[in-house]
Amino acid sequence: MNNVREFSWSVFFTWMILAAIGLVAIYSATQGPVSQFLEPYIQNNFFKQVVWVIISLFVLISIQFISPRAFIQLSYFAYGVGIILMILTLMFGTEINGAKSWLRLGPANLQPSELMKIATILATANYLTSRRDISAENVRYALTAVALILIPTILVLMQNDLGTALIFLSLIPVMLFWSGLPYGVSLFIISPAIIAYLTVIDWYYGLIAAVLLTALIFFIQKRVWLTVTAFISGFLTVSGVQVAMNQLLQPHQIARIAAFTNPNYDPTGAGWNVIQAKTAIGSGGLTGKGFLEGTQTQLKFLPEQWTDFIFCVIGEEFGFIGSTIVIVMFIFLFVRLLNMAGNHKHPFAQLVTVSITSVFFIHFFINVGSASALLPVIGLPLPFISYGGSAFLTNTIMLAICLNMDFHKREFSIYR
Amino acid sequence: MSISQTNRTRTSIRALQVIIIGLTLVVLGRVFYLQIVDHEVYAALGQENSVRQEYVDAARGLIYDRKGRLIVDNEPIYSITITPSLFDRDKLPLLADILNVSDSLLTARVQEAQRYSWYRTSRLITEIDFARFSAIQENLWQLPGIGHQIESKRHYPTNFNGSHLFGYLREASESQYRNSNTLKLGDKVGKSGLEMTYEDTLRGDDGVKYLRVNALGQALSNLEDSTLIQHPVQGSDIYTTIDTDLQILAEELMDGKKGALVAMDPKTGGILALVSSPDYDLKRLAGRLDMDYWQSINADTLTPLYNRAISGRQPPGSTIKPIMGLIGLHLGFIDTTTVVYNSGAYMRGRPYRDTAPIGEYNLEEAIANSSNTYFFSLMDQIATNGYLNQWSNMLNDLGLGVSNPIDLPYASNGIVPDSTYMNNIFGENGWGVGDLMSMGIGQGLLSISPLQVAQMTSVIANGGYRVDPHIIKATRMPNGEIKDIAPELNRIDWITEENLSVVRAGMRKVVSEGPSRYYTNNSEVPTAGKTGTAQNPHGRDHGWFTSFAPFEDPQIVVSVLIENGGYGSISAAPVAAVLIEKYIEGEISRNYVYNYVLNFVSRPTDSELLENE
Repeated sequence: MNNVREFSWSVFFTWMILAAIGLVAIYSATQGPVSQFLEPYIQNNFFKQVVWVIISLFVLISIQFISPRAFIQLSYFAYGVGIILMILTLMFGTEINGAKSWLRLGPANLQPSELMKIATILATANYLTSRRDISAENVRYALTAVALILIPTILVLMQNDLGTALIFLSLIPVMLFWSGLPYGVSLFIISPAIIAYLTVIDWYYGLIAAVLLTALIFFIQKRVWLTVTAFISGFLTVSGVQVAMNQLLQPHQIARIAAFTNPNYDPTGAGWNVIQAKTAIGSGGLTGKGFLEGTQTQLKFLPEQWTDFIFCVIGEEFGFIGSTIVIVMFIFLFVRLLNMAGNHKHPFAQLVTVSITSVFFIHFFINVGSASALLPVIGLPLPFISYGGSAFLTNTIMLAICLNMDFHKREFSIYR
Repeated sequence: MSISQTNRTRTSIRALQVIIIGLTLVVLGRVFYLQIVDHEVYAALGQENSVRQEYVDAARGLIYDRKGRLIVDNEPIYSITITPSLFDRDKLPLLADILNVSDSLLTARVQEAQRYSWYRTSRLITEIDFARFSAIQENLWQLPGIGHQIESKRHYPTNFNGSHLFGYLREASESQYRNSNTLKLGDKVGKSGLEMTYEDTLRGDDGVKYLRVNALGQALSNLEDSTLIQHPVQGSDIYTTIDTDLQILAEELMDGKKGALVAMDPKTGGILALVSSPDYDLKRLAGRLDMDYWQSINADTLTPLYNRAISGRQPPGSTIKPIMGLIGLHLGFIDTTTVVYNSGAYMRGRPYRDTAPIGEYNLEEAIANSSNTYFFSLMDQIATNGYLNQWSNMLNDLGLGVSNPIDLPYASNGIVPDSTYMNNIFGENGWGVGDLMSMGIGQGLLSISPLQVAQMTSVIANGGYRVDPHIIKATRMPNGEIKDIAPELNRIDWITEENLSVVRAGMRKVVSEGPSRYYTNNSEVPTAGKTGTAQNPHGRDHGWFTSFAPFEDPQIVVSVLIENGGYGSISAAPVAAVLIEKYIEGEISRNYVYNYVLNFVSRPTDSELLENE
């Protein structure tokens, strides 16, 4: 057993503080004066979360006693079980807020797609690092890795959970890049997302981005076919998004996008969330309105304020100071985790830690970005803070795996 | 692991850290922008969001009669309000259904509210019944932007109309509320009568209160922020000189007739009763506008909205004769003993007819028998000697032909021609004595309102003091402070008690010996008066009677005009007599006069009696 001083206590305490902040925010969002407007089962969310935090704490500690080799050994098995659970969910799952992602297990609702994130990361990382000759530079191996990620992505999409599907998709560029995919190709893979985002704001921002990204890809990797493909795909993305926005999307989806670019477009409808979220954060000011004093929170102007808009609760009641503390905690967490990854000699540990960090970051960025109207509203929880047992447990397990591999990194090296 | 791979790892870790920190800082910057830079914007938005502004209706001032009886007050009505920015247009059919109004009407009202202000709350529908009001209350949660409030409308607790006294209220016009800091869409303002003249006094300042509301628009509590709350300031009450009992009787007596009545306290100029007939029903114009009724009174050829008592202009006829006497005495063309022989007509280029018995008349007898010859002769001297402007100025001294400070809108000045006026009408020197003669008996170009007839009669009754006719004697501010309004009486220096006594004696004889004596000579209440007939080229003549009583110590002046009533002695005089009896005696004992008045019918086209008196 390793010396407990080698355990990354700072990351562990960051986890505890974030979980505590989360409980405070969930308390405010469900137990404050607002509770009179909420259904009883939502009021109970706070107590359920307390239970989940305690369970997660035990899980986190327990995981530290496992040998990291177990993650490698169990990865394909876990992947298989996860896929089966997700198919079961599709068949027998419970639908909440339009997404059929929950499997009823006794008293708790389990969200297999959350746990599937772990299994997918482990399995894909295992595959990509299992043999020296496997590299993402080889198209065949790269496509196998992509397939490993796409299978759960498709299942999540079938469950109608767009946010989680985005998380799975984001694993593709991250994991391939880390497994040797050239910079230029990696940039090429993520460029459609950037172009699409800018096209939603204004089609010609998208066009400029497409041109600039193509130039950058050519500059990094002077390969004609890649540059041409990048240019064509950039152009197709711009026109595809335009066509989608004008013809393919349902009116309510268009309204949602329009509300993002101009919330006043439909202030009582699709723009409502955006306006209310911005108002909550903005009206918090420097010091906030005080615990349980936020009018936007307590008078229920915020939708889903215990999950997707929990950052607004913090922003409104604890102000810029509170928001900054949360954001700085996350920066610390990301930097520390990436440092851990950098210190790993073992590529599996490296790849897993980087992937997990990117999953945390994307959750964080999309959640806070949505709440502050930097991004269109995509329903994703804020790691460790938002209400959600499965998500909290999954995030804790992922963090625990990073901590475990860091804790046991010498053992890992010997194994290698 | 190769060196290059290790390098790549290290660079990539750094690159990833830079990207993540960079993007996180973008988020932090965004939060900084919202919470610090744009804080004020969102703080206001948040405030607006969770706080609903509601107006607290300030009660309009009450109106009391001379004895402190309440004659105009307020009663509650229920209104529905709208804040267009919060209103969901899809809910319009639901709202129309609950309110039981047509979609098109409601759409028009919503659009009007939107034009007024997108963000301010304004009235949508006023005066709905309590059941609908409750239905709205129950459904507020699904009607964002819709609110309700309790307001008040005018209520008239007495048995009289007083439509020409009080006037009606209507919603302020678009230009009115646009140019006002205090008026809002749907606020009512006085459009005639005292309500109009005293709009600023009667009108209170609406209060503003703030309610904490949740996202569903449910009011949770009052917001205790003293810097925002404005308490309503009630309008000031006004105390009038109106005598309720007299006004009730006056309206009853004038009912079914066309004409006007003014009863005045000659010692103050305070109006005791004022009727213009026909009038309209104020109760039907209070609250939500009854469009059918409004159009019917506007289209009525008898013009019920027109206040004949102060805006009307008629030749005063023989009622001017006592004043002519006073002027003649002062100018020295006659004295109390001057005698003029009536031969049946006064000759001045042509005969001017006189129906008084043939014989000699001094001033007292000339007034008593309404001999035209005496006054034609007097006017002839005034005109011939170039005293037209003095004559005109002296009538102005009594309040004729000039504006009077009556506290009702649209009062007529009347026309008392002087040389300037004559020049304007006939051209420079295009007129002569012949054009002035008939003014000596109150005909021709001379025309004044019934109010002015009462004013000049008051001068005779009160011993030569010019009166300022008024209806308000005091206002009471919401803090209880009472401000008395008592116009000063100004002595008219050219009127002497000696001259007055002759004129009064003549007027006393009109009542006791003249053709109206059957109705007017009340042994209990010695009365003086003068009949008159205004020549009417369009139909039957208008009858005048102006009087004061009791003779020795006049308490009341009553002037009555009955349009198309023929002789004043049979049309107007009985009305005045009943009113005087009621005021001085407290009750009507001479029921035959009362019944005669109630049954009197004026016949506008009957022209068989085109005679002077």
